[in-house]
Amino acid sequence: MTTAAAPARLRGGPWPAFAARRLARFAVSLWALLTAAFLMIHLVPGDPVRAALGMTAPADLVAARRQALGLDDPLWVQYGHYLRGLVTGDFGTSMVSGQPVAQVIGDRLPATLQLAVPAFAVVVLVAVPLGVCFAVLTRGGRRRGAELGFTSVSVLVAAIPEFLVGVGLVALLAVGLGWFPVAGADDVSAYVLPVAALAIGPAAVLARIIRVELLSVLGADFVRTARAKRLPARLVYVRHALPNALTATLTLGGLMLTGMVAGTVLVENVFAWPGLGSTIVQSIVTKDYPLVQGIVLVYGVGVLLVNLLVDVLLGLLDPRSAIREA
Amino acid sequence: MARRRGSAWVAAVRTPVGACSAVLLAVVVLLAVLAPLVWGDGAAAIDTDAIGQGPSGAHPFGTDSLGRDLLLRTLVATRLSIGLAVLATAIGVGTGVVLGTLPSVLPRWAGRLVIAAVDIAVAFPGLLLALFFAVIFGVGTQGAVLAIAFAMAPAFARLVQTLSASVSGRDFVAAARVSGVGRSRLLARHVLPNIGEPLVVNATIGAGSALLAFAGLSFLGIGVQAPDFDWGRLLREGLDGIYVNPVAALAPCGAVVLAGLAFNLVGETVAGVVGVRTRASRRAAGPLPAPRPAAAGEVPDDAVLVVENLQVAFPGPAGWTVPVRGVSFSVRAGEAVGVVGESGSGKSLTALAVSRLIEAPGVVTADRLEFDGKPVDKASDRELGTSLAMVFQDPMTSFNPARRVGRQLAEVSEQHHGLSRRAAFARAIDRLAAVRVPAAARRGRQYPHEFSGGMRQRAMIGMGLMGQPKLVIADEPTTALDVTVQRQVLRLLARTREAEGAAILLISHDIAVVSQTCERMLVMYAGRVVEDLPTGSPPQHPYTRALLATTVDLDTDRGAPLEVIPGRPPEPDQVPAGCAFAARCPLATDRCRDEDPVPAPAAGTHRVACWHPQVSVLSGQSREEGAA
Amino acid sequence: MSALEFDAVSVRYGKLTAVDGVSLTVPSGQVVGLVGESGSGKSTLARAAVGLAPVSGGRVRLGGVDVRKLPRRRPLQMVFQDPYSSLDPRMAIGESITEAMPRDTSRGARRDEVARLLDLVQLDPERATMLPGQLSGGQRQRVALARALAGRPQVLIADEITSALDVSVQGAVLNLVRDVQRRLALSMLFISHNLAVVRYVSDVVAVMYLGRIVEAGPAEQVLTDPRHPYTRDLLAAAPSAHRGLLDDVGGDPLADTEPADPHHPPPGCRYHPRCPIGPLVHTDRTLCVSADPADDAAHRPHHAACHFAA
Repeated sequence: MTTAAAPARLRGGPWPAFAARRLARFAVSLWALLTAAFLMIHLVPGDPVRAALGMTAPADLVAARRQALGLDDPLWVQYGHYLRGLVTGDFGTSMVSGQPVAQVIGDRLPATLQLAVPAFAVVVLVAVPLGVCFAVLTRGGRRRGAELGFTSVSVLVAAIPEFLVGVGLVALLAVGLGWFPVAGADDVSAYVLPVAALAIGPAAVLARIIRVELLSVLGADFVRTARAKRLPARLVYVRHALPNALTATLTLGGLMLTGMVAGTVLVENVFAWPGLGSTIVQSIVTKDYPLVQGIVLVYGVGVLLVNLLVDVLLGLLDPRSAIREA
Repeated sequence: MARRRGSAWVAAVRTPVGACSAVLLAVVVLLAVLAPLVWGDGAAAIDTDAIGQGPSGAHPFGTDSLGRDLLLRTLVATRLSIGLAVLATAIGVGTGVVLGTLPSVLPRWAGRLVIAAVDIAVAFPGLLLALFFAVIFGVGTQGAVLAIAFAMAPAFARLVQTLSASVSGRDFVAAARVSGVGRSRLLARHVLPNIGEPLVVNATIGAGSALLAFAGLSFLGIGVQAPDFDWGRLLREGLDGIYVNPVAALAPCGAVVLAGLAFNLVGETVAGVVGVRTRASRRAAGPLPAPRPAAAGEVPDDAVLVVENLQVAFPGPAGWTVPVRGVSFSVRAGEAVGVVGESGSGKSLTALAVSRLIEAPGVVTADRLEFDGKPVDKASDRELGTSLAMVFQDPMTSFNPARRVGRQLAEVSEQHHGLSRRAAFARAIDRLAAVRVPAAARRGRQYPHEFSGGMRQRAMIGMGLMGQPKLVIADEPTTALDVTVQRQVLRLLARTREAEGAAILLISHDIAVVSQTCERMLVMYAGRVVEDLPTGSPPQHPYTRALLATTVDLDTDRGAPLEVIPGRPPEPDQVPAGCAFAARCPLATDRCRDEDPVPAPAAGTHRVACWHPQVSVLSGQSREEGAA
Repeated sequence: MSALEFDAVSVRYGKLTAVDGVSLTVPSGQVVGLVGESGSGKSTLARAAVGLAPVSGGRVRLGGVDVRKLPRRRPLQMVFQDPYSSLDPRMAIGESITEAMPRDTSRGARRDEVARLLDLVQLDPERATMLPGQLSGGQRQRVALARALAGRPQVLIADEITSALDVSVQGAVLNLVRDVQRRLALSMLFISHNLAVVRYVSDVVAVMYLGRIVEAGPAEQVLTDPRHPYTRDLLAAAPSAHRGLLDDVGGDPLADTEPADPHHPPPGCRYHPRCPIGPLVHTDRTLCVSADPADDAAHRPHHAACHFAA
């Protein structure tokens, strides 16, 4: 049922409500994440300490470690300790190295960010112009050849996961041609392959999304209105089509961005990159649960922050999204 | 129906994508079944004389650290890789469907809890969820299957929720509920069949992702453990010796990519056949059909719009479709002309064509198409932008939702009058006030969604008044509006005509609206103007007469059944050779069926395209029940 | 045969009151036309009757029995606006019709009944195996009618059943509905935004504005001698080939008023911000802003909810 808008009451009305809802959602998700990470250790079948220390570890060592980790307390007491620890920046202690988890994360996180941030920049800088170009070139069924080429290449590239791209790049450019080092993070040239491996797939996906969204916006009634005003094509695209295509792109692209956070795990393992990704895999294999828990939290918070950022951007770009929510 | 589906499958396999996917799928399935049986022993044979070799005649892909042949190992690994991916997908999709349908079965609060949990889980990428579950289920094949399955489940739960919500919102589900159909039957007979196909498509594509994810986990050392091996495991082993033998790493890479692609392509093909996504036809439509030649009519001296033999064509899979087939008319300065017709008559396309708004692949041709004395295709953007105003049907979608209304009006003057931003905005406010938008200065700063439908349509007319329009083309401007608002908008158009001296071309399906607003009306049927008559004078074309007779108004005789027109208009790609109305016309003769009538002058400016124009009073219309 | 009674029915969606204390009776065997603009709550009222909208106040009675106490298969059926969405695209039309039949119908009887119903709505019974996609809009609307009749209703609700159809098809569907209604002596609630269509079909006309019924009475009386200013406005606005557009328009300050927002209904009389005989024109009529005319509507002719009903 269509209802008339209530202009006077809308001024500034939905924004605080919109922001509050989004923050509330962030808070609930954060709580769910913290709790899931806490429960993770308790869901491991058997005794996690025994599992971590191995079958041969003496019983008194296991008992002492359990005591130290507070695993013998009732669950809700442990939960309280855990939350209090998080607030004070205490993520526990690695069972393998004995180092504080917060310190390990502090050491490794910068390397991961040095990989993820440039890769993200590359994705946006490559995908947006590419998607826009091909949308404009192939609108209304023009240039079937270009469309077919773009679609097949982007589908193919998008179908190859980061770690396979990484292996391919290593085989070709590092082993075959010797242009770049195979592994490590020693100098600038070492960044090229991992960043490329991380960025290529998402760039293809994003370019494809932008093209499809822009094409659908170009068919919208309001673009016809803009053309009826006889605005130059440049203005029709930049002012009317693109902002509306970006809102839809952001919704879909947000998922892809969070996917990149996870992609770092695989890419770091291909290139022996000393970041969080290689650390979490090692600690899963060695059953270093406090460390796994800490890193899962870092990744999870990263994902939630990306989602929040996307929501805020959406709200800024599209005045209706705030209303729809409210 | 079944046969149509069958032939659709055959056709799909004949397309390049379909053929590729069929071949890839067949190869993958065959290898999965046969490879371990044929080469299983060979792949496990340790040869200490050939440790870590590169490619050679005996070992095309080289050997691993125990001297086992990597080609055979890659082939044999197909079964485990594919099998585990399919198993994980099955568990994941199953869990997802259960989670997705639970909210409709559970009590309301529990349902909301499930939805909220799925919402939160969906925000996290699959690999992260898989790692999380891998911690719980432990390292190894079983743990990895469960981890990937549970990581997939939230996405599928969400998909099922969205799909079934959209199906449940449709009227046929409401209708079934009203007929007393129970909840479980509703789910089984109406909801699930209508979401089944997109679900299958997404599950196929999901199997591809599961394959990649499994390779990822095995590559990380969390999935399949030695002595078992899948592609991810082979890749992990190959990467260590990449300097010695890159093929050892590239071979499993290639296998994973090919198999992943097979699933994706199969998904796309299935989607194409079941119509989840439709693809544009790529077949060329052949040469454009030649319009029939038309005699040039008389054009009044003060014509602001002259259209002669206008044709609009679109390429289709079976050749050109021509929804507008040789339309001729003219509009004099300050005149109000209406165009009436049913849906599909070509009236809106005619409006778009004369205003140069048909885009490729549509093709517009005309013997003469002039606005304000100049061919439309030669007119500058400034001329059209300032003297030709357009009003579209749906005022909700015709404004850019992300820009303020005032700014959208101001654009015209910024662009065509060279005004500054500020001056252009001031003019926009002035024009909004001119179309009687209350509190124009405030309204100009609002977004379109803050306007009611009628106000938006006013603003749209105001946009046309940014220049000095000589012609306003209004395409169904009031169809989306309530009657009281419709009257306001029509009056505004009439006032605009008075104040600006602008001619009006009003397109409408409602003959009463046109009669009320215009001096002359063009009646369109199947892409032709069949009659061009002054409003109020008795129509002579049987279609116009029938249209008038079927219109229900406040004076319709309540005691008698309504007039009806039997049959329905021809599809635009199946227009008969003779008069397009002949099949529905009570007066049709053989001549009507063979020969297409051209518009001929009847009296004064009145023109009729009919071999048997009716000059008498309205009577003798068919009252038969047609349609069926 | 039985009457459908709405007794002070209200429907709320969150803060929005879509239907606000509506009382209306569809007498046995008669057609009541309900007219109003979009957002007036007329479709919500229909959906409340068949259980598709939550009744938050008052009750709907069929033959004196609260419809909520009736069995799941109620003798109360509905035909929807959009024939393209009201039939399951994957179900043969015969099956859609069968589904709506009472449970105790035997298999053979069902087939005969489908044929009889299709024949009744003037469709070839051979078409029972067709999918809705193979039919035109008018034909689908006939199928929807046949499905509604399969439930052996005493009361039929028709919600904007011709607004998605072309003029040339509309007539045939209206003729059919009227014919079927008379032949089966059904009680019918006929909803439309088109006053001319409502007038043609109905014995009684009720006019709805912002969730309330503002005037109701015998069709001929309401339409020739309307008492509520909103009814008069609707009548004047109905497009007609016989009246000029600019007739009767003075310099009235109300010509460009906007429809009110159902989320924030005006106080007092809900029509007062648009009313040509209300406080905007007659400044002394402050009563319209302060007092709700619905309270004593029962005493006025046509139950008009207007303090100054003529």
